[in-house]
Amino acid sequence: MNLPATARSPLITLVGPPNSGKTTLFNYLSGNNFKTVNYPGATVEYSLGKFQSKFSLKAILLDSPGIVSLIPNSPDEVVAVKSLYSHPELGPPDLIIVTVDASQLSRHLLLVSQLKKSNFRIVIALTMVDILQRKKLAIDTIKLGELFSCDVVKIDGRSGKGVDNLISKVENIFSSMNHKSTESTRANFCNDTNDLIDTFNKIEKIEAEVLINLVDPSQLPNISKANKQLRILIDPKSKIECNKIDARTLKIDRILLHRIWGLVTFFAVMTLTFTSIFWLAEPLISVVDSLFSLLSSESLKLFGYGWFGDLVANGIISGTGSILVFVPQIIILFLILGLLEDTGYLARGAMLIDKPLSKIGLNGKSFVPMLSGFACAIPAILATRTIPNRRERLLTIFIIPLMSCSARLPVYALLLAFILPSDKSWLGGFLLASIYIFSIVASAIIAGIINKLRNKLIKEEDNSSFILELPAYRIPKFKVVIHNTITSTTSYLRKAGPVILTLSLFLWMLTSFPNINPSIDKTGLTKDEILNLTKAERLSTSYAADLGKIIQPIMTPIGMDWRVGVSLIAAFAAREVFVSSLALIFKVTSDETTLQNSIVSAMRNATVEDTEQKLFTASTIIGLIIYFIFAMQCLSTIAVSRKESGGWRIPILQILIFTAAAYVFTFISVNGLRALGWD
Amino acid sequence: MKSASQLKLGEKVVIKNIDSSHPSSRRLLEIGFTPGQEIELINSSVFNDPMAFSIRGTLIALRRNEAGCIKVE
Repeated sequence: MNLPATARSPLITLVGPPNSGKTTLFNYLSGNNFKTVNYPGATVEYSLGKFQSKFSLKAILLDSPGIVSLIPNSPDEVVAVKSLYSHPELGPPDLIIVTVDASQLSRHLLLVSQLKKSNFRIVIALTMVDILQRKKLAIDTIKLGELFSCDVVKIDGRSGKGVDNLISKVENIFSSMNHKSTESTRANFCNDTNDLIDTFNKIEKIEAEVLINLVDPSQLPNISKANKQLRILIDPKSKIECNKIDARTLKIDRILLHRIWGLVTFFAVMTLTFTSIFWLAEPLISVVDSLFSLLSSESLKLFGYGWFGDLVANGIISGTGSILVFVPQIIILFLILGLLEDTGYLARGAMLIDKPLSKIGLNGKSFVPMLSGFACAIPAILATRTIPNRRERLLTIFIIPLMSCSARLPVYALLLAFILPSDKSWLGGFLLASIYIFSIVASAIIAGIINKLRNKLIKEEDNSSFILELPAYRIPKFKVVIHNTITSTTSYLRKAGPVILTLSLFLWMLTSFPNINPSIDKTGLTKDEILNLTKAERLSTSYAADLGKIIQPIMTPIGMDWRVGVSLIAAFAAREVFVSSLALIFKVTSDETTLQNSIVSAMRNATVEDTEQKLFTASTIIGLIIYFIFAMQCLSTIAVSRKESGGWRIPILQILIFTAAAYVFTFISVNGLRALGWD
Repeated sequence: MKSASQLKLGEKVVIKNIDSSHPSSRRLLEIGFTPGQEIELINSSVFNDPMAFSIRGTLIALRRNEAGCIKVE
């Protein structure tokens, strides 16, 4: 598979430790022009791109996962390091750009010296020079380049400063390079720790040579010219200075990592994040929602009310709508997470929550994915890739569907509207908050139980560890955050979109066929009534209804019948479909002010078939809420869970355990409430 | 021997060695916790776990258990 180096554009790989600004540089160099791929047979992800056309540099650009050293520590790092030496499809890199945080020279030069030992052709891109300047230090790039015999360029991947210089250095290397690319030999880094300590001792000497103590900060702008004059002013204390932590960061952490205030801020930040996910997104969601309803009804008019029109309107357009309706929330979530990450706060949040999460077998690094789960489980599961320990990552993926995602919101809203007296609607917010808290507590308990059974359910022996760098606080660059938000959102759409669309088309078929054109008595009915009746008739004679009737014996013990069963089946496309499907099956016509009110009144009148007994009562509604808290009611999540966990084991466990839990708890609550006479 | 997990807030010490039997020991060395380096306990979370140390000009959060394998003078 390896293409000879001459047959393709040169391959440039970006390498760097986490937090060294590697991905920021990659984004700047490639623009939006990249795709994210998995290494063959692994869940380790990398990005492949080209240089933005303004750089007029023809080369393949590969962004590898952040690594601390070339000695891999986890299965994922084994893949990443191996592919660095020789990419499975692209072969060995022609050049490596290694990002080094100038303010953490001694730590980040370890990777540089290992790359050098392996005989790679490298260019050092120095980042975070601004933080170094805040420490009143400068760096002698020429000296550093001499010591490692490579080019060194100062860059700021956020503003693009210095990138042109980097490009011209790369061009120089390529033009002087003989096309027979030098074979990088894999240096044998033995596991001997003395070797590491030796390397660090050498690096410390280099560091002392290249760091310059800035006596006069006013000379900052002319630093490169002033370098030579300043060298005579090197302060022997410069090493100690560079090991000082950024004073501003220490001051902020005194509050944000304070035992009490730290927790207070943490919960305040979380509450704010949550409320903004819901309240900021709400108007946008209703715009998307009404846009797609409009499109749907217009296309019905355009294509007629036959099967084709229905396919376009209710299959394709509604299916697309059900993907896009969550985009506002996902954008806001990524935006907030991006801002929190760019300031440096997210790492602190993970640190604060690590202890409680480790008690239930999770990790502080599970925190961001779980938080994302409250918007949608799909981006949340994708976010678990940052958890290095495989067992903890699998457990996090396992637990994410229990986070109360936004698709449950319309369902809860409808069900709460049913049990709440109309004069006490203020109770709704309170009850909704209780549902959220209940689902958090329930998922913690389930994670704890799974963790206890871990060797039976998730067989992964990995050293559980939490080693996380707390980056210096920085003012976030909105341009970068917005760029990353767009990238993450489009990546979500590309990954989840086709799956969700396919599944919704499949469910459309289940709920429409075989009786696509039902014969109904049209006498004395308006056009709208005929349409609604047709839809209702179609659904109640569909394959989904047949399935519903098959599961009737399962529904009866929890106080429901096949019509609820059909809606539950339809809700596998997306949970909120439960609402529209109930509307269809109970032949709801919008004669009341809102659809929700119409469904509620139709539900109040519904009786168990062939009897006078009411179908929906307080107990069955509470049962349904409990059901939705636990049930793995989302095919797209199952698909993503399979992909990200690398097998069927986790998704099958999720389906079995969550569905069983949902059913048992619903059974207990419905029958318990009835026994208590609270029907 | 005293270990980094026993430090008080603001206490500065020099690393003597890293207990190589701990599974995280090599990673700790790789991120800069090498003998001879000065570390300071800057912050610690509720329950004293994880703990944030300053090392080589940055802050690194470690679990108490991992800090335990950093032996100090």
